[in-house]
Amino acid sequence: MSAPDPLADLLSACGRGDRAAFGRLYEATSAKLFGVAIRILRREDWAEEVLQDCYVSIWSHAHGYRPGLSAPMTWMTSIVRNRCLDWLRKPGLEVIDEDGSVIDNAPSDNPGPLAELQRSADASALARCLQALEARQRQAIALAFYDGLSHAELASHMRQPLGTVKTWVRRGLLRLKACLGEGA
Amino acid sequence: MEYRRKPELQDRLAAEFVLGTLRGPARARFRRWLREDAALARVVDRWSARLVPMALAVQSRRPPARVWRAIEERLAGAMPGTGSGLWNSLAFWRALGLIASGAAAALLVAVTVFVPPAPHPAPAPLVLRVPSNEIPASYLAVLSDPKTQKPMLIVSAGRNSDQLWVKALDPSIHVPQKSLELWAVMPKGQPPKSLGMLSREQKTMLPLREIADHSLADVPMLAVSLEPMGGSPTGKPTGPMMYTGPCVQYW
Repeated sequence: MSAPDPLADLLSACGRGDRAAFGRLYEATSAKLFGVAIRILRREDWAEEVLQDCYVSIWSHAHGYRPGLSAPMTWMTSIVRNRCLDWLRKPGLEVIDEDGSVIDNAPSDNPGPLAELQRSADASALARCLQALEARQRQAIALAFYDGLSHAELASHMRQPLGTVKTWVRRGLLRLKACLGEGA
Repeated sequence: MEYRRKPELQDRLAAEFVLGTLRGPARARFRRWLREDAALARVVDRWSARLVPMALAVQSRRPPARVWRAIEERLAGAMPGTGSGLWNSLAFWRALGLIASGAAAALLVAVTVFVPPAPHPAPAPLVLRVPSNEIPASYLAVLSDPKTQKPMLIVSAGRNSDQLWVKALDPSIHVPQKSLELWAVMPKGQPPKSLGMLSREQKTMLPLREIADHSLADVPMLAVSLEPMGGSPTGKPTGPMMYTGPCVQYW
């Protein structure tokens, strides 16, 4: 953690009960976190509810945030992702696609967010390491991370046996770790 | 625990927890370990630092203004003295929680519940028929009308199930142009959590966010409030409390 992160200051102010700081934190981060939730849940109403719960949780746990252990955005994004994954826990969750938004947002094979990542200076090492993975490992990891697909869903989406998909994920993660370890 | 002696297994589970492919009971178990094991939490922190920045690439989307309004309202409700009315009163929820924990001990599974003497009809035992002698390990609650003590709803969920079943014992509980919303009354004065809306059928299945062992274990009491059609607009109960009952662990 090199340059001081203004979000870290806002979070510690929230930990001291500063509501104005909480408002600024919401302004600065809610659009990204809402995007993360919509991408995983594929339902805006659910994403709204999750976002609401998560900010209440961020406010009440802000005093426990330790800047040395994780970057503010990583900490907050993890809260949102965990909540979304809990939400999707039901295996056969029925999605009512009234307005076609699910179809429009269905997991796609194009590397959309990955291409975006390469343009982000903060995550360039991560983008490089993801690019260094085998295509199928990269695709499995992206679908799991961005779209919240389970192993079983990955297998059906990628039309591969479960064991094969699990191996792609596991090997992909190990290679990412090795690749990121160099620079970190 | 076995995983502690296996750093490779720890690392793999932590990675899949952060990636999101660790699911279901395995995810819940891992989360319990995390709470007790600071070293494991560090492994997860390192994986979060590696993987979570992938989220920076997701397209941002400004949430509608109602989300912020709802957050502000919930925070106002969580602060003593700022809310209004019974449902916002921390003291009320604390008292309800206290009553519930005492009552939970008194109420085992209610196979026979006696309706107290009423002025006109003769008191009669109300028999709740249980499908078999063996009830699987479940969370159970019988919600009754606080004024008459008459049981009105039975709520149940298997320990490892994420389906909460609500059975109405009396179809007249429903009110035209209003909805009934089920709440988990939380201990220690935390705000109640909505479990969903009751359908007008005799039986309603409400999906729990997590299996009952995670979502109901700390809940001392359930309550039903009368809300505008479609449910509480604020995320907290806004109408009168109609039925309540302790939530008990039956196993």
